[in-house]
Parts: sequence; structure tokens; C-alpha cells
Amino acid sequence: MLVQALIGFMGAITFAHIYRVPTKQLFYAGLVGALGWTICLITRELWGEIGGVFAAATAVAICSEMLARRRRQPVLVFLIPGVIPLVPGGKAYLTMLSFLQDDYGEALALLVTTVLLAGAVAAGIIIASSIFRLYSRAKHVRR
Amino acid sequence: MEQLVGLVLLAGELLLTCGAEMYRVEETIERMGRAAGFVQVEGFATPTGLFISLHAPNGRVYTRVRRIRRSHNNLSTIAEVNSLSRAFSEGTLTVDEVRVELERLRQEGAPESLTRQLIGGGGAMAFTLIFGGNWFEGFIAGIVGAIVLVLVTWLDRYPVPKVLQAATGAAFATALIMGISNVLPIHPDLTTLGAVMVMTPGVAMTTAIRDLLSGELLSGLSRSAEALSVFVAIATGVAMVIRLGGR
Repeated sequence: MLVQALIGFMGAITFAHIYRVPTKQLFYAGLVGALGWTICLITRELWGEIGGVFAAATAVAICSEMLARRRRQPVLVFLIPGVIPLVPGGKAYLTMLSFLQDDYGEALALLVTTVLLAGAVAAGIIIASSIFRLYSRAKHVRR
Repeated sequence: MEQLVGLVLLAGELLLTCGAEMYRVEETIERMGRAAGFVQVEGFATPTGLFISLHAPNGRVYTRVRRIRRSHNNLSTIAEVNSLSRAFSEGTLTVDEVRVELERLRQEGAPESLTRQLIGGGGAMAFTLIFGGNWFEGFIAGIVGAIVLVLVTWLDRYPVPKVLQAATGAAFATALIMGISNVLPIHPDLTTLGAVMVMTPGVAMTTAIRDLLSGELLSGLSRSAEALSVFVAIATGVAMVIRLGGR
């Protein structure tokens, strides 16, 4: 598990560097990625692959929003590297391979899974960010 | 007043070219415009164009349009413009200081270096490991990933469309790994998968979701289309080489 967390950390921090995240925030971006990937691995056993990715994306988005407020950075700085390990690249690749082998039944099934996995990431981000938006708006109104 | 309009426009343009969300661009324009003393500030941003209209207290209206042609991913510019605009509206920075900083950021653009591409190769390695490859396959994927990043960065200097860059990079990586897998004991699919992932349009993907969430349907859809077309281009590049390679 520790090795897997390290791999998640590495994926997030390197992609953070590709997208030119400010150097001071790189470490935190990597932490968010490690957290997301670990949660994905644990919850995947309980709720299946799609449920796991959804739970991980929600956790990543909550962490990113909190870090962004605390460290006074745009949310994207933590969110983008954080979701990188959750991108269903493997499934997309298998989809392409099945299409190449003229196995359309398998390819379509994989395509649907890929779309659902991507949808789970989007849904996680949307839910977490909406809650934070509601919260900050409520605070704004009270003032 | 003219100078202040230019300042607001420059801040918006920088955010847009670096891939910020639309609400951040519009909020920044609004914040800076108000701090600069305009009574009414209207901003409308799309991924390919920026429209602003600033109403001065004396009744004059300044309207500017800026076409955004090329974009790159630079999250640190977004972060810096964000804190500059906040400092400006709180009054801790003067107009001239903000202008100097913004101009510096524009000159910088998206700094490229070999270290960035080498570290990026580590991303390829991580992806191969995430999908179950062993450390040796990860290492090969890392090297090929770094080479792909160098190639794509080089292509980006010429007016090559993003989609073609992705397809070329993917085809190149697949061919290279196909060659290596004849000599070394690696799983070609796992290694290729990691290497091509360095071109993932992560920024477009995530901002698309956030734009759709805040009701920016126009840019949300166009950025989804951008991310999707890059993914399809990568798949096409890989598929072409695999087919030609006779697997």
C-alpha cells in the first residue's frame, strides 16, 4: 500500500510539473494525488471500480478546495494533478485494442466502462466543489 | 484610464492563455476593474476570445476585444495573476507595479526546459506502475515518455495543431516501444500506455468540468471537445502503428 501511495504521489507531482504548478505547491499537489490513488485502491474493493474512482475523486476535490483556501492558491493547482492517477487511461487503451482486433462487442463494453469511469471523476469533482461553493456563498450572505 | 483598461485586459488575456476557468477570468476582470475605479465592469470570456467593457465615472465606456489564438498550460501564471489581482484590489500594489509584473509574466510565457521534460517522463513511469507494470517497464516508459515530451514541445514551436501533435507523439512512442520490446523483455501495451499518457489533456479536462459546473456551457463544451479530440488523436496514433506493425 505504501508503494502504491508513493506511485500516486509520483504521478501527481510529475504531472504537476508538466502543467507548471508553482514550485512551492508541488509537494502538496503530490500529496493530494497520493491520497486519491490510495483511497481509490481501498474503496475499489468495497464498491467496485466505478464507486472507488468516484470516492477518490470526491476526496481529491475536497482536499484541493481546502488546500486552495488555506494556501491561497487557485483550486486547479491541486485539483488537476490530484485527479491524474484516476484518469481511466488503461481502460481507454484496452478499448482501442479491442476495436483494432475487430472485437466490437468487447470494445463497446470497454468504451462504456471508460465513459462511466470518466463520469465518476467528473461527478466527484462536481459534488465536492458544489458543496464548497454553497458553503462560501452562505458565508458571504451572512456577512 | 486607457492604461488601466490595458492592464485589466492583459490580466484577463494571461489567465485565458494559461487555461484558467472562465469564472476566474471574469472575476479577476471585475475585481481589477473595480479597484481601478470603474463604476461598471462587464467581462465575457470564452477559450478563444475575451470581451471587456469598462464604464468610467465620467460616463465614457471603454470596450476591448482580444482574440486568444494559442494557449499553453501554465498553472503558476494563473496563481500569480490571481494573487496580483487580489493585492491590487486590496491596495497593496500600485498600478505600475502590477503592470511590470504582468508584462514579465507575458514575456515568460511557458518556460521550457529539458528538466521539465525529464521530470515529465516520471509521469509516464508512474502511469505504467499504476496500471500494473513492473519497475523495469516503468523505467522504459519514463524514458520514452520524456522523449515524447521533447518531440511534442518541439512540434509546438511550429503551427502544428494540438491534435496532430498528440497523434505524432503517440505513434512515435508506440513505434519506439515496439522496437524495444523485440530486444528487451517488456510488456509493450503497459509500457506504451504509460508513455502516451504524458500527453493527457489534464488541464482542459478538469477546467471543462469546473466550467460546466459554474454554468459556463460554451467553454465547458468546447474544452470537453478539446480534451476528447486529444484522447482520440492519441488512440489513433497508437492504433495506426500497431496495425502497421502487424499485431
